[in-house]
Amino acid sequence: MDPWLLFWLLLKASLFSTSGTGNMPILHHDMLLLGWASDHTFAEALAIGQITPGPTGLWVISLAYLVDGIRGAMLAVIAISLPPFTALGVLVLYQRYGQHPAMRGFVRGLTLAVASMFLVVLGQIMTQAGIDWRSLGIAVVALGLTASKRIPVPFILLLAGGTGMLIYAP
Amino acid sequence: MHHVTLRQFFSAWAHVGLQSFGGGSTTLYLMRNLCVTSHGWVSESEFAEYWGIVQIAPGINILAQTALIGWKVARLAGAISALLGLLLPSISITIAITALYAMIRDNPWTAAAIRGIIPATAGVGIILVVQMLRPAWQQAHREGRASMVISSAVIIAAPVLLVLTTLPAVVLLWGAGIAMAILFWGLHITDGA
Repeated sequence: MDPWLLFWLLLKASLFSTSGTGNMPILHHDMLLLGWASDHTFAEALAIGQITPGPTGLWVISLAYLVDGIRGAMLAVIAISLPPFTALGVLVLYQRYGQHPAMRGFVRGLTLAVASMFLVVLGQIMTQAGIDWRSLGIAVVALGLTASKRIPVPFILLLAGGTGMLIYAP
Repeated sequence: MHHVTLRQFFSAWAHVGLQSFGGGSTTLYLMRNLCVTSHGWVSESEFAEYWGIVQIAPGINILAQTALIGWKVARLAGAISALLGLLLPSISITIAITALYAMIRDNPWTAAAIRGIIPATAGVGIILVVQMLRPAWQQAHREGRASMVISSAVIIAAPVLLVLTTLPAVVLLWGAGIAMAILFWGLHITDGA
């Protein structure tokens, strides 16, 4: 695996998207095309990213670790740490053009596209993992518990892990 | 510098990084408590303005917000130490858990647990999507019919093109952004609030 290419893919996905999971459709496209990761690897990384502390965006460190070990994780750390500094430049732009229709339209388009494409990628990951009535049940319960905001997300995932052990273990 | 050394600044952010289980909203809540309520490094309105700005900045919003606050407090040194403070504990734990997972991922019990976690992650992910879409849709509603029609077109077209074409996701994302920028400008769609 070419570490420079991996670093560039991680950096590019972060530079050309916004939010913690906005880079996912880009990385999903690139990594699957190269055969470096599968839908299952993405699912594993997303799950670990939800369980560990810090912003949700750290899921990409898990992904890079799973595809290239500690070297990949370090490359991911650098790749996600650099783009936030561009916010200093965006601050100047925003104070001057923040209310311009083109600026607002651009942000809106990016947000809507990220959200709707994220849903497709989630669907692909679920399908690849195998959908049956039990997995659908877990998804619906997790959705309901997350929406209720009564239980923190890491606990919901741990609960789902325990349920998986009970119903899928050999 | 707001009466705080870089080391204290770093420690304060590390504290946030260590406590922020539960994703972005928990982290943001802790950051607000630290920077606005406890230390007054930024005002309530600055914190809100920065949060608006980071929505259009590349990368993870929370990290961009951290860089902006760090910059306000102690310029580049502040931005770097705040980011390092927030990230070091979280990164270390993330790598440790991933490494541990990588060692046991082939175990049948781990595989069974992951089979349970994957659909749950999808359920949580749907809520994330709703959280992303809701404010944008409410804003489109305030702006009027043209904005709602364009927004609906993007919500439908982006995933359809992702599935049916070989266009890279980055092209689709930026294509959606540029198309909406042109339409908003051309149709003079202004903030309906």
